Amino acid sequence: MSTVQFTLNGQSVEAPVGKSIFNIAKELGIAIPHLCHKEGLAPDGNCRACVVEVAGERTLAPSCCRSATPGMQVRTDSERAVKSQKMVLEMLLADPPEQGHKWLDDRAEAPHGELSQLAEHHGVQVRPALAVLRREAVPADLSHPAMAVNLALASSAIAANALAVICRSTT
Amino acid sequence: MEADPHRFLEDVLIAASVVGCEAVYIYLRDEYHEARMLLTQALADLRANPQCALPHIELRWGAGAYICGEESAMIESIEGKRGEPRLRPPYIAEVGLFGRPTLEHNFETLFWVRELIGQGADSFASHGRYGRQGLRRFSVSGRVKQPGVKLAPAGITLRELVDEYCGGMAEGQTLYAYLPGGASGGILPARLADVPLDFDTLPPHGCFIGSAAVMVLGQRDSARDAALNVMRFFAHESCGQCTPCRVGTNKAAQLMTAEIWNADTLQDLAQVMGDASICGLGLAAPNQIRCVLDYFPHEVGAEMKA
Repeated sequence: MSTVQFTLNGQSVEAPVGKSIFNIAKELGIAIPHLCHKEGLAPDGNCRACVVEVAGERTLAPSCCRSATPGMQVRTDSERAVKSQKMVLEMLLADPPEQGHKWLDDRAEAPHGELSQLAEHHGVQVRPALAVLRREAVPADLSHPAMAVNLALASSAIAANALAVICRSTT
Repeated sequence: MEADPHRFLEDVLIAASVVGCEAVYIYLRDEYHEARMLLTQALADLRANPQCALPHIELRWGAGAYICGEESAMIESIEGKRGEPRLRPPYIAEVGLFGRPTLEHNFETLFWVRELIGQGADSFASHGRYGRQGLRRFSVSGRVKQPGVKLAPAGITLRELVDEYCGGMAEGQTLYAYLPGGASGGILPARLADVPLDFDTLPPHGCFIGSAAVMVLGQRDSARDAALNVMRFFAHESCGQCTPCRVGTNKAAQLMTAEIWNADTLQDLAQVMGDASICGLGLAAPNQIRCVLDYFPHEVGAEMKA
């Protein structure tokens, strides 16, 4: 298998051609925050929590969708990369309702599953200036005899791009 | 294009033949009904009487989304998908429409081809001011006597453009500020009206020429109103694919309504939008915030930058 030599957080790394920076980092024990990327799914690069800084590039790159090129200098921990990683978490936490959905064994302090966990790990809290702009919850639509739509559940799962449609019992 | 649709098709055919394109897709916003009728007729005429071997040509139209002006979102739209920008790399010159290498140009660029070939490059390059070369079409709107599309030398300053091509400022208006490049190009104060308008002259001032759609504001206008208007437009037009742009434009538009701006939070939003968005819409949206904070701090209760 052909490999590529590049630098990750100052460390010289040899990795297979085409392998994502995210997966290379993971194997080296470097954790990069991520929400829309999950093993088994095609990487999409939408949440932007996993952005890293590549020397010489104008903008940050989503590590789940980028593979290394020879000589590339990548930092997952630069001030600039970390700023955006944390801002993305804060922005995503700024909208879902505070009570959220109990993803993690009813842990009330982590109402938004992985998003809450990541925020906790990186010390991210929604600042008051953004908290007051919280989007109003959409009331549940229970008008259909067979289906109920509760977007309040869905909005806490935005990071997973999920929509909660709960089928009602027809009995 | 509406004045001479055949010229546009000629330009398209020249470009396709030079690059070796097998197929040509023309993408038109749905709002341009007149242009669509003209172009449909011009294409029928061309097919009835082709002067050369024609590539496969299709006229497509979108439903009118700002984001579909972004090259990869346009490709998605032509492929029949939702108009969302693609991640780069790969670039569309490698993997573009239907997975094929693609050359994408706007009408305005193609419109120059026949003239450049006919008149020669030197004729085009003989125009220009302050060391710039060529001609540009500036679409001037706002507080000027004669707004409209002006064919002017590259590198012309805003002051010269208004005075020489637009009959000066409108009655009772004095220049206060201007947007040099459409919605995304930022806002500059009157004291920077002598900066040459071109691709490389505006970035040092936090702006860019973009589509050269120049908006001129007078002394009764405010830069914050213009910036807010533009940010609301971005929040509306954001495709919602990536977090920085989807949430950032929306929150920024709300924060920008405050009498005194929360400069720290807006700067943070500006940074993540400008660093981590997928496409040019989100990357350029912060220009407005930064320009108001840098050049018009008195309007938003912020401190003048040292």
